[in-house]
Amino acid sequence: MHSDALIFAIVFAVWLVLAALYALVPMFAMPGYAVVWGWGALVFLGLAALTERAVRRARQRRLHPKEGK
Amino acid sequence: MKEHHALIDGLKSLPEADWRLLMGIFAAALAALLAGVAFGAATAFTRAGFVEPGPLAGFRAMTAHAVSIFFYWLYFAQAGLLLVLATVFTSHQHGIGWRRAAWAGFALMLAGFAASLYGISSGLPLLYDAPPELGREPSAALAATYAGYLFLAAGLFCVAAAGIATTVAPLARGEHDRMPVVSFAACAWAGLLMVSAIAAANAFLPSALWAFGLREAPAGYATGWHILFHNMHYLPLMATVLAWYVLVEALTGVKSIFGARFSKIVFATYLVFVPPTSLYHMFLEPNLAEGVRVAGSLLSLFISVPTVTVFLVIVASLEVHARAHGGKGLFGWIGMLPWRNPAMSAIGFAVVNLALGGALSFVLIQEKLAVLLSDTFFVPGYFHFLTVGTVTLTFLAALLYVLPALTGRALWRPQVLRWMPHLTTAGLALFGGAGIAAGYAGVPRRALEVSYDGAAPAAWSALMSAVGAGGALMTAALLVYLYALLRNLIPIGAAATAELPEVRWAQAVTGRQRAWTGPLAILVLVGLTVAFTTLAFELLRALPVAAAGGAAH
Repeated sequence: MHSDALIFAIVFAVWLVLAALYALVPMFAMPGYAVVWGWGALVFLGLAALTERAVRRARQRRLHPKEGK
Repeated sequence: MKEHHALIDGLKSLPEADWRLLMGIFAAALAALLAGVAFGAATAFTRAGFVEPGPLAGFRAMTAHAVSIFFYWLYFAQAGLLLVLATVFTSHQHGIGWRRAAWAGFALMLAGFAASLYGISSGLPLLYDAPPELGREPSAALAATYAGYLFLAAGLFCVAAAGIATTVAPLARGEHDRMPVVSFAACAWAGLLMVSAIAAANAFLPSALWAFGLREAPAGYATGWHILFHNMHYLPLMATVLAWYVLVEALTGVKSIFGARFSKIVFATYLVFVPPTSLYHMFLEPNLAEGVRVAGSLLSLFISVPTVTVFLVIVASLEVHARAHGGKGLFGWIGMLPWRNPAMSAIGFAVVNLALGGALSFVLIQEKLAVLLSDTFFVPGYFHFLTVGTVTLTFLAALLYVLPALTGRALWRPQVLRWMPHLTTAGLALFGGAGIAAGYAGVPRRALEVSYDGAAPAAWSALMSAVGAGGALMTAALLVYLYALLRNLIPIGAAATAELPEVRWAQAVTGRQRAWTGPLAILVLVGLTVAFTTLAFELLRALPVAAAGGAAH
């Protein structure tokens, strides 16, 4: 995995764990927190996926210059 | 020929369409700052007893001040700076990606500002957190207030999407193997802006529907507000340290000595630490479980980790390069920095004010003290060190650099502007010092008149007079900045450029130089925190409310 995408993926994982904590652990039960951090986790998953896809596309273009056009 | 920095060269070669968009966003930012400063002065003078506009006009001024500054100045400025950094450091020849989304975002933010001002001027002033219970029943003014915040959130989401598209597209085109550090940080910042837009929708949408008469009054408004509020603390600070990182390189040529990957990890720590440190905002909720209070107290200690780390990276990099250029003594190298450049002096004072505001914020986020101090003037006393002294000074420093490059016109009187951080900080010292003392003495946070017909301690009114005088100094400094920047924005006179003082240390051969200033500064910060906390405990123990508090605990 590309290093930039990996950093975003780690952020996604941290936010997902926090969202799950707020949703599932009775002591921390705060649905509002779970919703926002959960959506936030998705945003950073999206960033990781976008970055990884962009890098793979560029790699593909370098390997097959005609197909990339 | 003078060596230019990527920021200046990139700004000068932006496509015309991006130029227009950025000029529009920065004009809106300055308009919001002007409104916020004017209403802020009115609020400070009312609280000091210098003017008596009456309760409704007074609270209207306080609300307009907070909304204009905290929501619109800080976020128009962030929208513009995000697009600048994302574009210039990634691929300035291609310009802003998803430009239409950025324009749509800007339009939505403008609509939000107009709706917010209408809501404040026509209805009951709800203060900036706008709790629906204060509004009592649905009305057009309330609907405009919440719709304004929702437009702002939607606008920020669109601008952030454009920022992300700008930073990611060059990777797909094969222009970079990895994002440059500043592009990566801009992309991470855009992600956090998106999450904050979601948090704003979570907080305000139910209230907006209620204000439009489409549902019952929402429950749990406070929790939604706290989550949003937490993000809104972090976002401007993340933008601030990124601006320092960029401006320090522009002013000295020095890049981080720790390398690009480490810098990216440090910027990413902002994202990692945002959710776990948010619990302390809930300390005033009476039903919060004891375990959550303990966890919140422990986690709140980590809140400054990313900012302190970026500070250490920047200071150590500067110190090492300055010593390689002959810097002597423990702090002698600091004098070698280009202090006659107004951007440098603004950043320098921003750092000092962050240390003071940061140390004081640690007093407030302690579970035992939060309850006692949160509704006192301690809160505006400490947070102006951050909003004005740190974030606003930094954003103004960035605009002092960005606007002349965009307009091609020389900055108005840099020799005057370099002293404005001194004046701002002097005003802050008076405002914040008196405000903190007032908070410790129990002066309420949101009461316009604190004499209580002579029943209140005499010191309260004296302290609020000092607050008003400090507010006047800050207002004067910010108006000078605004004059200089608006003069640069509006085409008056012939275009001309003037070189501002800079140093170029990039080529220095760095070896095993000492870099003790950063760690020593952190020691001072810890010492200040301990001192302010001890003072808080001692003063609050001496207050006559201790017996009542003890019985209730």
